[in-house]
Amino acid sequence: MTTILENTADVPGGKPVLPEKPEETRGLSQGQIVRKRFFGHTGAVVSIFVLAAVLVLSISAIGLGPIPGWWKYGYTETPALMNGGHPTLQLFPFSLGEHPFGQDRVGRDMFAMTLRGAQISLFVMIVVGAIAALVGVLIGASAGFFRGKTEAILMRFTDMVIIIPALIAAAVVAQAAKGPVLLAIFLGLVSWTGMARLVRGDFLSLREREFVDAARLAGASNSRIIFKHILPNAVGVITVNTTLLMSAAILTETALSYVGLGIQAPDTSLGKLISDNQAAFSTRPWLFWWPGLFIVVICLTINFIGDGLRDAFDPRQKKLNVRRVKESPDRPDAQGVPALVNNAPSGPSSALTSGLYQNLDQPADGGEGNEETHR
Amino acid sequence: MKIRRLSAGVAVIAAGALVLTACSNEPSDNASASPSASSSGAASTTGGTVTVSETNEFFSFNPSTANGNTDINSKISLATNSHLYYIDDQLKVQHDDSFAKTEKLSDDPLTVKYTINEGKKWSDGEPIDANDLVLAWAVFSGYYDDAKTDDSGEVVSGASYFSYAGSTLGLGLTDFPEIGDDGRSITLKYSKPFSDWEVALDLDRPAHVVAKNAGLADAAALTDLLKNTPRGNPDKPAKNDALKKVADFYNTGFDSKTLPSDPELYLSSGPYIVSDVQEGQSVTLVPNKTYDGDQTPKLDSIVMRTIADPSAAITALKNGEVDVVSPQANADTLAALEGVPGVQVHQGLQLAFDHIDLNSTGVFKDKNVREAFLKTIPRQAILDAIITPLDPKATVLNSVLFVPAQPGYAKTIETNGFKDFVEPDIAGAKELLGGKTPTVKLLYNINNPNRVDAYTLIAKSAKEAGFKIVDEGDVDWGSRLGDGSYDASIFGWINSGVGVSGVPQIYGTGQSSNFNKMSDKAADAQMSELIQTIDPAAQEDLQVQIEQKIGATFTTLPFFQSVGVDAVADRVKGIDTYNPNQNGVWWNTWEWTVDDAS
Amino acid sequence: MLTYITRRVLASLLILLGASFIVYMLVAYSGDPLAEIKSSNSPSKEARIAQRTEALHLDVPPALRYFIWLGGAVKCVVPFVGQCDLGVTLQNQPVTVALSTAIPTTLQLVTTAAVLAITIGISIGIVTALRQYSTLDYGVTFVTFLFFSLPIFWVAVLLKEFGAIKFNTFLYDPYIKNSTILLISLVMGLLWAVLLSGSWKRRGITFVSAFAVTAGVLYFLSVTRWFSEPSLGIVVILVTGVAIAFGSTVLFAGLRNRRALYSSLIMVGLGGVAYYALQPLWDRATLWLVIGLGILAIVAGWLVGRFMGGYDHQQSSRAAMLTSFGVSGLVLLDQFMKNWSRYASDPHIRQRPIATIGAETPGLNGDFWLTGIDKYTHLVLPTIALILISLASYTRYSRASMLEVMGQDYVRTGRAKGLSERVVVTRHAFRNALIPLATIVAIDIGALIGGAVITESVFSFKGMGVLFLNGVRDHSPNPVMGVFLVTGITAVVFNLIADLAYSALDPRVRVKA
Repeated sequence: MTTILENTADVPGGKPVLPEKPEETRGLSQGQIVRKRFFGHTGAVVSIFVLAAVLVLSISAIGLGPIPGWWKYGYTETPALMNGGHPTLQLFPFSLGEHPFGQDRVGRDMFAMTLRGAQISLFVMIVVGAIAALVGVLIGASAGFFRGKTEAILMRFTDMVIIIPALIAAAVVAQAAKGPVLLAIFLGLVSWTGMARLVRGDFLSLREREFVDAARLAGASNSRIIFKHILPNAVGVITVNTTLLMSAAILTETALSYVGLGIQAPDTSLGKLISDNQAAFSTRPWLFWWPGLFIVVICLTINFIGDGLRDAFDPRQKKLNVRRVKESPDRPDAQGVPALVNNAPSGPSSALTSGLYQNLDQPADGGEGNEETHR
Repeated sequence: MKIRRLSAGVAVIAAGALVLTACSNEPSDNASASPSASSSGAASTTGGTVTVSETNEFFSFNPSTANGNTDINSKISLATNSHLYYIDDQLKVQHDDSFAKTEKLSDDPLTVKYTINEGKKWSDGEPIDANDLVLAWAVFSGYYDDAKTDDSGEVVSGASYFSYAGSTLGLGLTDFPEIGDDGRSITLKYSKPFSDWEVALDLDRPAHVVAKNAGLADAAALTDLLKNTPRGNPDKPAKNDALKKVADFYNTGFDSKTLPSDPELYLSSGPYIVSDVQEGQSVTLVPNKTYDGDQTPKLDSIVMRTIADPSAAITALKNGEVDVVSPQANADTLAALEGVPGVQVHQGLQLAFDHIDLNSTGVFKDKNVREAFLKTIPRQAILDAIITPLDPKATVLNSVLFVPAQPGYAKTIETNGFKDFVEPDIAGAKELLGGKTPTVKLLYNINNPNRVDAYTLIAKSAKEAGFKIVDEGDVDWGSRLGDGSYDASIFGWINSGVGVSGVPQIYGTGQSSNFNKMSDKAADAQMSELIQTIDPAAQEDLQVQIEQKIGATFTTLPFFQSVGVDAVADRVKGIDTYNPNQNGVWWNTWEWTVDDAS
Repeated sequence: MLTYITRRVLASLLILLGASFIVYMLVAYSGDPLAEIKSSNSPSKEARIAQRTEALHLDVPPALRYFIWLGGAVKCVVPFVGQCDLGVTLQNQPVTVALSTAIPTTLQLVTTAAVLAITIGISIGIVTALRQYSTLDYGVTFVTFLFFSLPIFWVAVLLKEFGAIKFNTFLYDPYIKNSTILLISLVMGLLWAVLLSGSWKRRGITFVSAFAVTAGVLYFLSVTRWFSEPSLGIVVILVTGVAIAFGSTVLFAGLRNRRALYSSLIMVGLGGVAYYALQPLWDRATLWLVIGLGILAIVAGWLVGRFMGGYDHQQSSRAAMLTSFGVSGLVLLDQFMKNWSRYASDPHIRQRPIATIGAETPGLNGDFWLTGIDKYTHLVLPTIALILISLASYTRYSRASMLEVMGQDYVRTGRAKGLSERVVVTRHAFRNALIPLATIVAIDIGALIGGAVITESVFSFKGMGVLFLNGVRDHSPNPVMGVFLVTGITAVVFNLIADLAYSALDPRVRVKA
């Protein structure tokens, strides 16, 4: 055990070691440092490409809205069953065949359905991420910046939304209207709470910093201070949290589909496809494995991108010179803001704290949907 | 899971009710997919435990009440009670002569005498006698109800006493029964003939328990109370607190999700008795020691386990945790079941069928539009997609009142016109539409894959003929039925397998389950005649005529008979065929045995 | 402090009120609870509609209906007013009764899973943090993310297929094929080689020895049909006990502290004696007896440490207590194993012990050992499923926390003044890394009470998750509100506990009075 740290300081072969010296001397901007670090994270880079490939494939193959794609079948068409619906995908030599992922029992093309599912799942993911980020940042930023009454009201409101189960929101959507748009919006509207708490914590810490005082002295308006001065400093927390929100959103949608409250037929999503085809697990496994594979791939890549972003935004990254990235020892919570304890308890590194806390309000087991559902 | 919507939504409630087709005395097609076990005679071992998987949770020892009337409550009650009649797997009405005797004394006026054999006892030692039958009659007849309700179902005056799940149509025609001198028999006289008299009355909850819990001295006091209370008159409601008390206890007193501390609440008159209930999880039945009839139990225990998820149930069967499963049948569950080693799969046609209903209002006010729409429906393709994978020999169902196994079926399809709509006739539909492009709102249960598939196929075909289809797929399809917010609806009906009194309920003008508001005066007249007809042959003739009129309205079109399936572990003997009625495998629990050697 | 708590509680009450109103409205407007009756052709349709309307007050508009519900719910918290009334379910069962059976079921399911997920997750997180950017770190990151990405019902289907059905079939004839032994040994060898990093030579040695040991053990288990008649025996208990003794000494005191080591070893010896001395007691074992003996063992450990330990007796006591706890656990495990074949051959089990559904085998009337094993066989699969999916967050949290702490000045100071790496990690870094985790755990436990909706459905547990889900499906507000009340209150309470715990653990954080 005694050699652990000496060893880990430079374990070979992990990933390319960044050239540290030139960076320091040239004085890179924050963005450049983050980019450099991010692209040094192999997993994240690979993930970006894989995710982009999935996105491009799903959009180009079956088209988007009225624009047709290159694939011959639509996801609602019911061509005749061929060969019992077995998949025709061949790897050596590569050929897609008539129905690469097989057909379901009515003859719908599984390839088209899976890609449509991927489209919808990605759509839900992006909308949930965008709405949750927007609402969460607005509420968190206002609460953290203005403090006092505003903060009290906004945070109590956040606390209230936190304990409203997502399942119920989904049930209302399933009743009120169909279509992924409304579902995604509703899911977004119940998933911003974690983001709001984090951003607030970050803002509480950042607003006490010297640069904010400087801006205020220079006569900057509140909105200018919030958007031009503080927000850029919190962008790491926000980005990282958003990616994790997104991967949780996909799994939440899957869980909702399992209980019949997710995307409704005839539209489809990856979660709906696997839960519909559960019974086919041992008899027609392709109905089950392909959409499952896509979910896992999307989730995994998003998580890795999030991980990469976190590493990139984390100023305490081992790969960079720790001592140079000076941290302000601000401890807003030590100043006695009680509810803060929840949100940003370990002051010094807000980015890392965010790493710790961002998931609290996401389902820890997103496929489960239980936290989301039952908080 | 979602597949269960049909059974959860309709079957459960319909259980015990007498509904539509007249299968009363005809066997339905029970052709098993695999030959049944060669066990029937060989099994003579006793003891052992059989575990049956069921979808729903047990919650009441009284399945006769509207609230308690779910499939699983009925099944447990079936195994723990003796009955005046039961329905076997050939859908024949059977009588347990070791328990009671049912005699039709005369046809006109219809008079029926029920006699319980001497020495029959509840499991607490109290005799089963005429008092119990009188209580059952009081409940099943709705004799004392004098409630008036407004349109929303609110009671405006009077009271409904016993909450009975079934139809009071038949026994409502009788007056207070004549009690035999032996104290074990009652005689019922009908004011008009009633088609389903044979399944009108059964033994219900013990009168002495109801009496005691309603503050009466004993069962005889209850009978006296009932005897001295006149028939309820909605126009002159009379307050009767004593009866209300009896009814209140009867309606809710037997509801329990756990084993009640008072053993009187779960008395048994049949081969088995409940020994344990784990809330929402399981019910354990053990032999009833006081039972002395012919249906001698042979097992140490029967355990009913609630497994809501059909895939989980199949896995449990595979793992040997349960011995019997009856999941919703689809190609995947069937294939999965057939892949389980050491299991017999029984397959048969259910007494349920999917169909489409067209409203006769809105866009479908014009009969030609209705006919055109029916012409576009690809019924063969729907069958091929949903049923053929399960049963390659299946054919499109062409009747809403008969199943193909009945002789009436051959007759009715010649006249009802449904067989003209097997393959879509787009050209014919276009001609009927004459260039119009009506917009049709199509309602179906979005959580049932069969309905979704049918919708997909219909929508595609109808669009070719120029219809514009609005997708009204809805989880809450059930509450929308009949509310006019759609033009056509795809759903299923389930019937109990015996009786014809359900026919007017669905096809009669203004009836509560006539969701598409179809109306035909001549058919109405024939339907009221039908329920007063006792002779099966005459019943069949009438139904053929009624169906012809139904067909001519172009308001409904049946698709297919649903396929049912159950799977039984080889170690369990006594379940040899698929039983299509709502009691499923439970109809003959006393014949079950276990042979662990196999 | 008190004012702070009072204020928090009052605020929480308001939050609960507001949220409960919103939830009630959402459920009320999510659909029609009469739908299933309306779509039926039941002859008693009108009567049923009237009955349900009355039971659920459907004739009252939802906004007012909420206050009817609230009126009943308030009685639960106000003493001497009357009975708790949370309304009835669609089956006329009072929600309070439904909750009283659902809550224990859920607790049973999630407690073990939560404890194990936290323990394993934190351990893995700490180890990966100490080995940041090693193969192990990358591997663990990938695997935990993978588990996190799997839909739980997917995991459940696979677990049932391989963990229950295939495993039970394997138990009929528990003979492991040589090729399987080889494969497992290879994997284990690689795992250990990755885990204990070092020079290539050292890794090679690790690999070979791990491979050999695994292969040997598996072969032994296979030929002795251990899986159908498992037991540990005194030898394994003692050997493992000695290993635990060394381990706990390293953790708490360091091997140089001989007194601690001897205390621990004495506990192993005592455990061996107890193994024989307790045999006659086991036939009449009850849960309380076992708990009592466990406490006794820990107390004994403390005493031994106290007397052996000299001036630093706390270290010795801790090491001895942990050892004692571990050894008694082994002795207990051995007893359970001895009853295994009796359980498996029970007519209700019929040699297929691992279950895929439910919380227990209905009708199984056994003693303490049989019911204990029965619980285990039913809980093992859902617990694994829950652990797998929740592992990721704990691993990531604790890794991040540990990394943060390892970069702190005081850790550097510790090293600089010549403390051993063990002391730096266990005394300085580890404890501080746990502080933020304490809050996470508290909040998570609050959330877990709500049950695991999907896990409960897939494994046919009738807990709060299923109660809630059925309520949502039936559009019946009462059970939903019942579950919501329980989870809402626990969430609020545990949030408060988390805050208080944080300020207690980290003196820099104070709550404002």
